[in-house]
Amino acid sequence: MAAETEARSMPALLERVFPTIVVVTILIVAMQIGSHYLPPYVMPPPLTILEATIEILTSQYHHIGITALRLLIATVFSVFVGVAMGIVMGMFGKIQPYLRSLVVIDTGVPALSWMLLALFWFSTPELRIFFILSVILVPFYALSIYDAIRALPGDWVDMIETFRPRRSQILRYLILPHIVPPILTTTKSVIGYAIRMAVFAELVASAVGIGSRMSLAQSLFRIDQVLGWTVVLVIANVFLQAAVNVLEKFLLKWRAEVNVR
Amino acid sequence: MTNKPIILLENVTKSYGTFVVAQDLNMEVRQGEIVALLGKTGAGKSTILNMIMGTQPATSGKVRVIGHDPHAEFAELRGKLAVSFQTDRLLPWRTAVENVELGLLILGMPKNEARERALIWLTRVRLEGVADMYVHELSGGMRQRVSLARALCVNPELVLLDESFSQLDHVTSHTLRVDFANVVREFNKTCLFVTHRIDDALEMADRVIVLAPGAGIALEFAINAENRKDSDWLGQMHERIAEVMGGEED
Repeated sequence: MAAETEARSMPALLERVFPTIVVVTILIVAMQIGSHYLPPYVMPPPLTILEATIEILTSQYHHIGITALRLLIATVFSVFVGVAMGIVMGMFGKIQPYLRSLVVIDTGVPALSWMLLALFWFSTPELRIFFILSVILVPFYALSIYDAIRALPGDWVDMIETFRPRRSQILRYLILPHIVPPILTTTKSVIGYAIRMAVFAELVASAVGIGSRMSLAQSLFRIDQVLGWTVVLVIANVFLQAAVNVLEKFLLKWRAEVNVR
Repeated sequence: MTNKPIILLENVTKSYGTFVVAQDLNMEVRQGEIVALLGKTGAGKSTILNMIMGTQPATSGKVRVIGHDPHAEFAELRGKLAVSFQTDRLLPWRTAVENVELGLLILGMPKNEARERALIWLTRVRLEGVADMYVHELSGGMRQRVSLARALCVNPELVLLDESFSQLDHVTSHTLRVDFANVVREFNKTCLFVTHRIDDALEMADRVIVLAPGAGIALEFAINAENRKDSDWLGQMHERIAEVMGGEED
């Protein structure tokens, strides 16, 4: 039975991965052809990029670790603060207009403005990067959770109200389980954006981390390393998405999978 | 059955602006009674149920449930009242047994004790094997049974049913009605159930109340064990109810 399931799931996995393999192959071939006609400081051959990537992964992995840690801390903080703000907006009607205005203003401020302000306001690089990532990520969670609470089915609220629960019990038994899917969906949506912002923040605010290394590679005209770091970032994004998918499968095992024909 | 009124409505009027849903309604449900509330669409059945649940206040008049004003003293009825709705309203992230124990946990019962009692109630509604199944894995009839178990599990004095069997097929609905009535009688619960199916009312209820839109009670009669065996009498009552409801039945 297990072997049969495995036999069925392997082609399914291949079916999902196959388009990515095709696109990557096309890109590599295009880069190889381009490298024949363009100077190496514009388009190095894929093999040189691969060597740069391997060098990065074997000798500069601590920069990857630092960026990942910064990203993890800021994302976890943003999840907690954003979810709390969303819950307060969803459950306390009187506070909602004020918090919502704050969130809307925050989303209107360009990321670049936050980066420049962080340089003025904070002296340590870690604080700057944490601040930049947090102010950018928190509104995504706050708005998504607020919308999820507003969309909470009235039938469920009426049902739970018949037991005369305390407000904390409504939060525990109804709202918190209900907002798990939007938290995961928001995380999947912002991962790529968060990586880009983390690297960008490191570019302007830190001497360590992927962003600072990319800046260094650019100033040394090492385009192979710039592309190598780019490959590392793409791989990191794919891995993070996969990690959230695994978490989603575990946390949302109660949800029926629907296939639309 | 005792004379103690569990539900008491005195001169109750409910209106939305100029639209009067119920006027000068007087109604009583005594302890241990199973009362069916019938009426055509717009007769105010659900509004009356909402006033009894405490989710809506009466415009005027007195509503008392187990001696309390259900709207003004909302928290006083904690653990004393349970409701089963037309749709199961099960929480999809909880398994069948977790849905059943929900009310007990809200009432502060320790987790182990709540689980034990929820499992007993799942057995009573004939769902022994599905305790750990999620909602999407259950059939419509099973879900409604879980919903009934959730309502009865908290050992309420009063059970309110809002068209709880109407979305099921006739065979499942009949089995469930019989099971439910047996449980309610065995544990001496009081039950008010809203339905638009005349057969449901005649089969389950000790007393039937038929509402006329905006005008209060149009027909009220009791049913005893002998009546229930008398097919002529049942046929006559069916006709009278249908007449009041204007032929509006499934």
